[in-house]
Amino acid sequence: MKKIVSIITAVLLILGLAACSSTPAATPAATPQATPEEAPAEKTFKIGVIQYAPHPSLDNCYTGIRLGLEEAGFVDGVNIKIDFQNAQGETTNADLIAKNMATKQYDLIMAIATPAAMSAYSAAKDLDIPVVFTAVSDPVAAGIVKSLENPGTNCTGSSDVLPLEEQVRMIRAFLPEATKIGILYTTSEPNSVTQLKEIKEIAPKYGFEIVEIGVTGSSEVASGAQSLVAKGVDCINNFTDNNVVNNLSLLLNAANSGGIPVFGSEEEQVKNGCLASQSIDYVALGRETGLMAAKILKGEAKASEMPVYLVKDFAPVYNKDVLESFNLTLPAEYAQATAVESAK
Amino acid sequence: MDIVIGLIRNVLEEGFIYGIMAVGVYITYRVLNLPDLSVDGTFPLGACVTAALIRAGVNPWCALLIAFVCGAAAGCVTGLLHVKLRITDLLSGILVMISMWSVNLAITGGSAVVQFYGRETIFTNGLAALLRGGARTWRVLIFSALVCIVVKLVLDLYLKTKSGLLLRSAGGNPQYVISLGHDPGTMKIIGLAIGNGCTALAGSVLAQQAESANIQSGTGMVVMALAAVIIGTNMFRKVRFIKATTAVIFGSILYKACLVIAMQLGLPTNYLKLLMAVIFTIALVTNDMLGSRRKKQNV
Repeated sequence: MKKIVSIITAVLLILGLAACSSTPAATPAATPQATPEEAPAEKTFKIGVIQYAPHPSLDNCYTGIRLGLEEAGFVDGVNIKIDFQNAQGETTNADLIAKNMATKQYDLIMAIATPAAMSAYSAAKDLDIPVVFTAVSDPVAAGIVKSLENPGTNCTGSSDVLPLEEQVRMIRAFLPEATKIGILYTTSEPNSVTQLKEIKEIAPKYGFEIVEIGVTGSSEVASGAQSLVAKGVDCINNFTDNNVVNNLSLLLNAANSGGIPVFGSEEEQVKNGCLASQSIDYVALGRETGLMAAKILKGEAKASEMPVYLVKDFAPVYNKDVLESFNLTLPAEYAQATAVESAK
Repeated sequence: MDIVIGLIRNVLEEGFIYGIMAVGVYITYRVLNLPDLSVDGTFPLGACVTAALIRAGVNPWCALLIAFVCGAAAGCVTGLLHVKLRITDLLSGILVMISMWSVNLAITGGSAVVQFYGRETIFTNGLAALLRGGARTWRVLIFSALVCIVVKLVLDLYLKTKSGLLLRSAGGNPQYVISLGHDPGTMKIIGLAIGNGCTALAGSVLAQQAESANIQSGTGMVVMALAAVIIGTNMFRKVRFIKATTAVIFGSILYKACLVIAMQLGLPTNYLKLLMAVIFTIALVTNDMLGSRRKKQNV
């Protein structure tokens, strides 16, 4: 008897829901076509922003996005409404946030970092809501665009491919006698695995050998760094590896006690104690993404036809304090590099 | 209004998907009284197996079944470690949980994220493909609820069989199982296999819904499943006609509803974990305060 009652409850629940289905069904199809024609000044666009995790580079992306949108005349609270959500590094959160944003029929969803972009793509793909991503190193491999030139999906954005060749050349200039570059990376981060493969091809051209150690989580960063130092590397180079970057101080401690410098992959890491980096300006990357989003909102371009923006500008950055502590001199060819001081 | 309906739909979708796992964890945690941590590893196992199978062109419904079997196999390992090698329940769960990380990476071929956008899933092939117009918006809910309810009904039936009765006594009164000439250890292994099979099944459904599998998706699953089990069984224990397995699914839906409501009210996601802990505490405390505790679970 109990069983029957519970089945009936369940069935009623579903039927009740299905009965409501006729109402929302018409809306998703009707709204999107209407949006581009309207003048941006008259309508308040709703924009959802999903950031995958709290992370300095990703925070910079968001700052840049807002700058780019403002430059194009979209100011939060005036003619756009930004709903910013941080997924706290969990895909379950990213999925839920993306689904809710799609349900609320936002005019645009922006995603910072690959997992957020995948959640947004998956939630929005049937609903005709454009997705603009940033800080996705390989959007084609992630499956969210068909090609960089012509996305073909309702999804476009900007990609942060690391300038590894420039980085290796810079390491050579800073450390003319070095032979071994140590790399600490997380085996489960696809970007790091790709970057490792690339740097292994580039390094011999500059007379370097790559010594790598893979870790699986934050608890292994300290011991991984120590064994890297113990293997006698002359310096350590960082990728955009989220796990390693989040535990940078552990890596720096190990490197400092071994007396070797660490090269970063962007400015924030240099501020935190890395020697130098050919860095991507994530604020500029975010700004570019914001401008792309603005074009889509104004109806000037379609996400599916807008090529993915590849970061072009890298600027060498070095940390004066760290340079002095290693008794190194700034190489002549990097004389114009931006000097930053340790963040304290 | 559409938005509210849409949000309710999201809650129900997520609630039913994680409800599949909650039903499984109910078996290990409530029926067998075993805190099983291996679900953190078997959830992504289900997702990864599904992704690999679907990319290889396997029918998505078969992928669901295979994911269940793989999860059940992992559950058996937990059980064998615990029962045969006499490792404590917590530790054997942890051992399987961490080993699953490597197993999952092996299945995905070393990549952390495997996507299969545009491939057939249980939400797009067969019966689901027949849904037209407005019903399409509801297909995820319809099919995740379908899987969840089928799992629940099958488990209800199983718990009534002789083996099911032995399973229930293995948790509360192992001596009784021995007196009947059966081994409570075997029942524990079976229970863990069911629990982890359901968890992998939930992982499989979630992966098919997102059309991608993420190796890190298991983080926090134990907590989420326990929250669903505790909220469900505690809140509905007074309602006699609701079975525990149903209550647990309601618990999962309620839990997701709390999260969505909090997010809609503007709670920054930074505080979600704290909110999780608060909901959990309330569910635990209300149980004690409600007084008249029934010794026997309404299974």
